[in-house]
Amino acid sequence: MNAPAPGISDETRYGKFVDLLILKRFFSYARPYSRWIVVAFCLLPLAAFTQLTQPLMIRFSVDNHISTGDMDGFIIVILGYGALVVLQLAVSYVQTLLHNILGQRIVRDLRRDLFSHVVNQDTSFFHTNTSGRLTNRLTNDTESVNQMISAGLINLVGDILLLIGVAVSMFALSMHLSLITLATMPFIVVATVMITSRVRKAQKKARVMQADMSSMMTEELEGIDVVRLFNRQKHNHQAFDAINSRYYHSTVGSTFLETVQFSFVETTSTAVLALLFWYGASLQESDPVTLGTLIAFIDYIRRLFNPIRDLSSKFTTMQAAMTALERIFSLIDQKPKLNRSDFIGDKTISNQTPPSIKFENISFNYGKGDVLKEINLEIEPGERIAVVGPTGTGKTSLIKLLNRTYDPVQGRVLIDGQDIRTQPLSEVRRSVGMIQQETFLFTGSVAENLSLGDSEMSREQMKNMLKQAQAWPFIKGLPDQLDAKVEQRGYNFSTGQRQLLGFARVLASQPRILVMDEATSSVDTVSERLIQEALQVLLKGRTALIIAHRLSTIREADRIVVLSNGKIEEIGTHEALLQRDGLYAKLYALQFQDDLISGDVAASV
Amino acid sequence: MKSTTDTAKESELKGRKPIKSGRERLAPLREHYRHHALGFLTGFILLALGNGAAAAIPYTMKLATDALANGESTRVREMALALLGITLVHAVLRVGSRFWIFRIGRKIEYALRNQYHEKLLTLERNQLNKWRTGDLVSRGIGDMIAIRMFIGPGFLLVANTTLAYAVTIPVMVAMDLQLALLALAPLPLTIYVARLLTRRLYGLSRRMADQFGQLSSFIQESISGMTVIQAHAAESRWKARFYDESEAHYLANLNHARLHGLFAPLMGLAGGLGSWIILAYGGGLVAEGRLTLGDFVAFTGYLTMLIWPTVGFGWILAVLQRGLAALSRLQDVLVLNGSDVLDVDSRQENSHEKKSGCYDISIRNLSFYHDDAKLKDKVKILDDISLDIPADAFVGLVGPIGSGKSTLLHLLARIEKAPEKSIFINKEAIEDIPQARLRRCMALAPQENQLFSIPVRDNIRFGCPDMDDKTIWRYLKLTALDREAASFPDGLDTLVGERGITLSGGQRQRAALARAWIMEPDILLLDDVFSSVDLATEQSILKALHDSDRKHTMVMVCHRINALLAADIIFVLDQGRLVAQGDHETLLKQSELYKNLYKQMSRKQALAGVQ
Repeated sequence: MNAPAPGISDETRYGKFVDLLILKRFFSYARPYSRWIVVAFCLLPLAAFTQLTQPLMIRFSVDNHISTGDMDGFIIVILGYGALVVLQLAVSYVQTLLHNILGQRIVRDLRRDLFSHVVNQDTSFFHTNTSGRLTNRLTNDTESVNQMISAGLINLVGDILLLIGVAVSMFALSMHLSLITLATMPFIVVATVMITSRVRKAQKKARVMQADMSSMMTEELEGIDVVRLFNRQKHNHQAFDAINSRYYHSTVGSTFLETVQFSFVETTSTAVLALLFWYGASLQESDPVTLGTLIAFIDYIRRLFNPIRDLSSKFTTMQAAMTALERIFSLIDQKPKLNRSDFIGDKTISNQTPPSIKFENISFNYGKGDVLKEINLEIEPGERIAVVGPTGTGKTSLIKLLNRTYDPVQGRVLIDGQDIRTQPLSEVRRSVGMIQQETFLFTGSVAENLSLGDSEMSREQMKNMLKQAQAWPFIKGLPDQLDAKVEQRGYNFSTGQRQLLGFARVLASQPRILVMDEATSSVDTVSERLIQEALQVLLKGRTALIIAHRLSTIREADRIVVLSNGKIEEIGTHEALLQRDGLYAKLYALQFQDDLISGDVAASV
Repeated sequence: MKSTTDTAKESELKGRKPIKSGRERLAPLREHYRHHALGFLTGFILLALGNGAAAAIPYTMKLATDALANGESTRVREMALALLGITLVHAVLRVGSRFWIFRIGRKIEYALRNQYHEKLLTLERNQLNKWRTGDLVSRGIGDMIAIRMFIGPGFLLVANTTLAYAVTIPVMVAMDLQLALLALAPLPLTIYVARLLTRRLYGLSRRMADQFGQLSSFIQESISGMTVIQAHAAESRWKARFYDESEAHYLANLNHARLHGLFAPLMGLAGGLGSWIILAYGGGLVAEGRLTLGDFVAFTGYLTMLIWPTVGFGWILAVLQRGLAALSRLQDVLVLNGSDVLDVDSRQENSHEKKSGCYDISIRNLSFYHDDAKLKDKVKILDDISLDIPADAFVGLVGPIGSGKSTLLHLLARIEKAPEKSIFINKEAIEDIPQARLRRCMALAPQENQLFSIPVRDNIRFGCPDMDDKTIWRYLKLTALDREAASFPDGLDTLVGERGITLSGGQRQRAALARAWIMEPDILLLDDVFSSVDLATEQSILKALHDSDRKHTMVMVCHRINALLAADIIFVLDQGRLVAQGDHETLLKQSELYKNLYKQMSRKQALAGVQ
């Protein structure tokens, strides 16, 4: 709209108009509700009107009826007054509700947008943005935006409107009394703002100290053994007492301020009233003040206080929301590196037979030093490849390239001769079944963990998946079977059972390729046998790439790829590689022969 | 429909725990109430005086109004001055009484929190394990605040409401009985509506908070499991689930807002009704000349005095209920008796003056069980172990995972309680050794090498807070941590943890070792302290431990061979039983389990060499 003035760089422009830019962006979320916003603004003058007219009605009834004793028409005034009060309360209720709905809806939309954005990010995003930080953006930061709408923005305009209205009405009633009242205003405003901001600061300080105490206690309880071992109880208690005592002294101070704040409005308005009586008496001769006017003035003064008191807190709310919005938008501005929608190939990956896989001149790194260097590997349809090698030689990175967790820095990954980057991402991921070392389970039911939100999956299908993965027997044994509860991270299932559930889950999309990072941790012998059986079912009719840690897995593989320092060191069948007497033979002797010793001991060190 | 299920839920909640009598619940407070009895009395007197002053204000206003109506301007001025004076006195009394009473609440909160913290520090681990850490912490913070509200504002509100009614009603009745009855008529209704709304709002805000918690954990879990979601191409389905979650949160908020928004208008209406009656009926009385204009003004003033205490009535009950619930949660912990003591009589420095003693350990028929909450049963961890550890020996403990090695160390260090007369140090049963003496002669470097978010220096001298830097550096050197420590941004002042540096696993292990070693204990217990340390460093530290000029008995859980080769005697544990003992050479010949474990360890080491 307004072109940047010459000589002003983008950087400085951003700094200057930062709030406007943020607000402008934010308003795009408010646009769907513009009709509601118009209604909210239209209600403001109505609300002000209902408040401003009440004192006038009282004045009228006192001066024209009660004082004079002329009760004709009094009943109408009284009923009118009652109606006004009811109208004011009704309007204020509608306003509260409307602002709440607006804030909640806009924030709900913002949250959904942000969540969609997060879900579409690639893995590197989650390395730089910790889960705590992201959760905070999605919950607390959005909540402070809600505060701005439901308690701040619109009310602020309403309050200003009311303040002006009260001033005008007072002047219309009595010039003299208005001037007296006005003279006290600077004192009242300054004192109110000062006390309020001090109370808020003190409360904030107290919250910080509470958080300190609670993190101190948390850390201490988590390390209670160490505290006891080193006989630190007394010392720790002194430290805790120190902060507890600081908290006490600080909160006692703020308690005093709070009690002053609590009494301030009432005391001040009574004092102003005393002043009005004093001058009312003096004005008796020149400009007689009626009793009704006096009562109306008291009423107006009371109505002035709340907006004044809330003014500074509303600005703070706005400020907090601005910072929150800035953080939210900067998160939204982080674009995923992985291009998700670049389907440009002429043929989608065929859907029937196990496909061939080709790693073509692949190099890969995470920003520094190459993790994989010039990998060339062709895998036949239905072939079973075991990947072995010392830790940290790029095994995991290699399999992650296959489902596009990452894209290679150089080279191509081809499935059935198609560069996977030319295929729709979801297609690629559905055709590559990925089994991690540790199976992550979500809180919820077994069924929910199998379907992962797919409402079309039938319970029969789930049972089938579980049966194929050898997981049905132990699920069947649970009281709720498919609806059995899964606790956080699946800790109510054993490692072996979690692994089997992971197997079952991967079958949902009928993948034609299976990629597996075999678990290194040991499981009980029963689970171990079930896992091996399930694996046979799973691998049948699929092209497979397995990071192998167990001898049996290696023995079952068609070929073995030995990785070392990001390069393919050796490749071939078990026998051929043993004969070569190279790295594989060495690894085999050291690592896998353990499996020949009694399983118990092998699993234990 | 809704309300019946609510009450059903409520009674179910109540039914789960036997309701404690009020007297039992108040037990933790009794002593504090006694201590502050005079304070509460003073507070009450101040409140009573304050209410008296408050009641004088509408009356002065009445006099001023009547004077103004009669055109007596001098009297109006006098009354205006009186009004100003009374208002100021009232303000002082009001601020004073509130502050005085709230401060007592704060004082008791402070004392109770200290008492609670002290109790936590003396409890056994199995006593603490009954609750999650977060739960224990919230008792010390959130519940303590609820208790303070019970003591301070709770007392104030009850006293103030009673006083407000006691002072105003007689005055109003004296002025005009009929008008008084009419004006007060809506108040019971106010109490009823306020109570009703408060109760229902409590349920709704609980639901709102629950919904927010659910949204947060959904987000948190989605982020943790993002790899799974993406690998299964379930992004769009997850967005749909979030759509539902955020909708549920929105609806819960809306339900709350609907009722919450009603609160202020309804209270305004209930209060306004009284004023309206005064205006409508009282106005007529003034016109008839039965009341003066001043009476009319005063009536409105008195009614205003009553409205807020009345509205607050529902709130008081909620505050009291929450306070009592918090008290009983606190009492759950306070009634426990731990074995540790807080106040250790002897001073830390003594440990360094004391000459090196010879400490042998003998274990006799030691069996130990763990309470498994899941199995609701006891699990045997150690099974009838008897062994002797000679003074100044270096002892290795080996065994498969879960064989009870760590538990044995924990029992020796008395962070778990062994059965009586099963562990002896220098022939003295461990439970008979005073805490201070025991801690002085024994140190453990645990497997979970927990460091605290305090400076590196204070982490190292955790058990001897007066230790000088020179000694600290010496032990950092012995544990091969000196060079790394020197490179920390602020040296020894560097904070450990979130707000400071994050130490690697190996650094933490060595720091934990230094922390134990610097105590110069007679018995040094080490639980797998080298698992993240490279072999060369391990070797040099082992040598330093061995060459140390201060003799100590050392018991070490070993997972690597270097230590085994250096040990004077090795105990082999399997499934909680002691299955073999002897030095390395003997065990290789005699124990199949040991042989396998050893082979396993050497392979692992060789494998690490390949890499």
